[in-house]
Amino acid sequence: MYGSVSTHDIPAQASTGLENEDPQLLAEFEARIARGEKIEPDDYMPALYRKQLIRMIEQHAHSEIIGSLPEGTWITRAPGFRRKMAQMAKVQDEVGHAQLLYSAAETLGKSREEMLTDLITGKSKYSNVFNYPTPTWADSNVISWLIDAGAIVNQMANARGSYGPYCRALERICAEESFHLKYGHDAVVHMATGTPVQRRMMQEALNRWWPPIMTFFGPADKASQHTEILMRWKVKMASNDDCRQQFLDMYVPKILEIGLTIPDPNLRKNEETGKWEYTEPDWEELRRVINGDGPCNQERLAVRRAAEENGAWVRRALQAKRQAPKAVRPLA
Amino acid sequence: MIDPKKDLLYRLADDQLILGHRNSEWNGLGPILEEDIAFSSMAQDKLGHALQLYSLLHELGEAEPDTVAFTRNAGQFHCCQLVELPIGDYAFSLMRHFLFDHAELLRFEALTASSYEPLAQVARKLKGELKYHVLHANTWIRQLGTSTDEAIEKLQAALDLTLPYALALFEKTEAEPAIIAEGIFIGEDALRQQWLENISRVLSQTALELPDVTTISPVEGGRHGVHTEFLQPLLDEMAEVFRLDPTADW
Amino acid sequence: MLSSLDPRIARLALPDAPAALQPKAAFDQFETYEVFHQKKDGAPFSYVGPVHAPSADVAFLFAKEQYSRRAACSGMWVVPTSAISLTRYVGDQESVYDVVPTPAPEAPGVPAESEDYLIFHLKKRGKAHTHVGAVQATSAADALEQAKRAFGEQRPVVNVWVMRRADVLTSELEDRDIWSTTPEKKYRDAIAYKVQDRIDRFKQEHS
Repeated sequence: MYGSVSTHDIPAQASTGLENEDPQLLAEFEARIARGEKIEPDDYMPALYRKQLIRMIEQHAHSEIIGSLPEGTWITRAPGFRRKMAQMAKVQDEVGHAQLLYSAAETLGKSREEMLTDLITGKSKYSNVFNYPTPTWADSNVISWLIDAGAIVNQMANARGSYGPYCRALERICAEESFHLKYGHDAVVHMATGTPVQRRMMQEALNRWWPPIMTFFGPADKASQHTEILMRWKVKMASNDDCRQQFLDMYVPKILEIGLTIPDPNLRKNEETGKWEYTEPDWEELRRVINGDGPCNQERLAVRRAAEENGAWVRRALQAKRQAPKAVRPLA
Repeated sequence: MIDPKKDLLYRLADDQLILGHRNSEWNGLGPILEEDIAFSSMAQDKLGHALQLYSLLHELGEAEPDTVAFTRNAGQFHCCQLVELPIGDYAFSLMRHFLFDHAELLRFEALTASSYEPLAQVARKLKGELKYHVLHANTWIRQLGTSTDEAIEKLQAALDLTLPYALALFEKTEAEPAIIAEGIFIGEDALRQQWLENISRVLSQTALELPDVTTISPVEGGRHGVHTEFLQPLLDEMAEVFRLDPTADW
Repeated sequence: MLSSLDPRIARLALPDAPAALQPKAAFDQFETYEVFHQKKDGAPFSYVGPVHAPSADVAFLFAKEQYSRRAACSGMWVVPTSAISLTRYVGDQESVYDVVPTPAPEAPGVPAESEDYLIFHLKKRGKAHTHVGAVQATSAADALEQAKRAFGEQRPVVNVWVMRRADVLTSELEDRDIWSTTPEKKYRDAIAYKVQDRIDRFKQEHS
């Protein structure tokens, strides 16, 4: 589950560093991407490409592992066998996605140890939505459906990107996300069309989650030299706004058809432009939350740290038995 | 007197449900990503086993699996106390997994020959799953049980703590003679002996010491509805949403 | 103590302010193993991804749940990443064997010190390496040349992986029942969640 945080990472004036690249290698690299071929780990790649991909895939991985926590909040309380088993499987998948994504990022030369360190020390970012709480079971269902729906929009776009290991991971991830989406939709529909207690719970959860959902894809991209290059290199595959519009196109009707209301009086599709109009999300809040000041930032990191610390003796024990490890960077 | 088939099914199913629930508490919090995934799968499997066993009970006239699992109070549960204890540290959860799953593997192997054919069918189906669970448990106990002093101490403490509870996996009920006489199951005594041999064999390959079981009193009562202080809060938590609106379809 | 809506977290009784953290030590996450699965009997083994593990047997435990908890599977191989030799990657329409030396004419008999090497091809960038067969060779370099002789006609071949069979941990045939119930775990599949009837009923009632 991953939304864009990248816009905040690149200063618009930063150097692309392309003047330091070998022009011929760079031309071959760009020609390969233009032909629709994937880049594989051992290929030449510009430093900027490597750096941006590491940042992007790493943030995606962090978002998965942290993203397991808001729904994990309800793992012991899911009602009935069907939901209980599915909730476990979904949280498990998020951990599995983190594993796949850390592996893809490792092929670019940053170790999983370094990435996990950057996560638990707060150096790396993850999707802002996971810094919001899930006070009821319905909140967990809203995440399962709509946050995963948003993530699919994003990930389907990224799966058409140029880096082979990331594409392989995303192919698998998108297949599993389709289970998340259907499971989430199923749970939301059951509540929205259920008893008055269920309907109220679901509407309240949607009201809480709508503002974070609207910021999920990040603010509109600023035109910059970086954006243009990353689009050409198929690192960035779709603009934040395009993703948001696509999400609204697909899911607003599905939300409304089950009798839920969306807490934005300005939300409407402009039939002339074909674009959704909405109340401008609070980007200042997004910035604050990403930078650590959300309702659950502190808990999310504390839990991740505790998991790492509580498991440290296990890893120390297994490590002590080994010969010196030989390879810590997967091949593909 | 309770139907011996139901008596056995409740014990089996309640064990699976409660341990599956407990082990799911590790989801997202495990010591390494890959192990987090594996441990979650096995917890899911246990829930799946519980569901199949409650479904057999339903066929015998008991309530729906969800009703049975989510609305009873602790006194109505027949799980052993081993499965209801909090997850503790990873050494505790691994040791419980090792002791429980060895018994489970043997139990379901024996049940493949049950005269109660629907249960025999379930047992045959689960064979491969249980094989993986025991392979997982053995590998971890062997790996950690031959590693650092720190790990060996933690595992030994976990073994000492869990063993009296684990020995009560084999607590008998009043239905035991009928269960054996009707060929439903070989009985707890036969199972306990094989189990001791199997866990001893694995533990002997490690630095861990199996305490002398003849000096240990099993912590029994679970099969008769006597439970630790931990079970009722577990059930309240598990059913928190389910009980919000008992008429609802979630 | 840190308060949490998650009862599991509340039970961990975490402190409000965590202690300062040390960066993770090198190899905290062990080493990597590459994993190959077989979708059904007779199908070639193909690459699914890596796991981090302290040993091959643990890698197998991990690989089984990370890479085969959903799709049907009838076998799995795990091999230390460090035990794999690979060629460079060429373009999607090319064959990497074009840049591999052609082996000297085959000497009669196989050298005594030779052993089995497994050969994997990548047919297209972005896809997965697939097992094509084994050769007898004295080294990885020799194995690649032997592979060119045996499989060099296949095109395109973007990349080749070579590994000693002895370095590969393979699942046992008699243990394939560990996958027997996987297809029954429908609760993990999108297809198990069909809710259109309920939506239609709701819309009818509220139209």
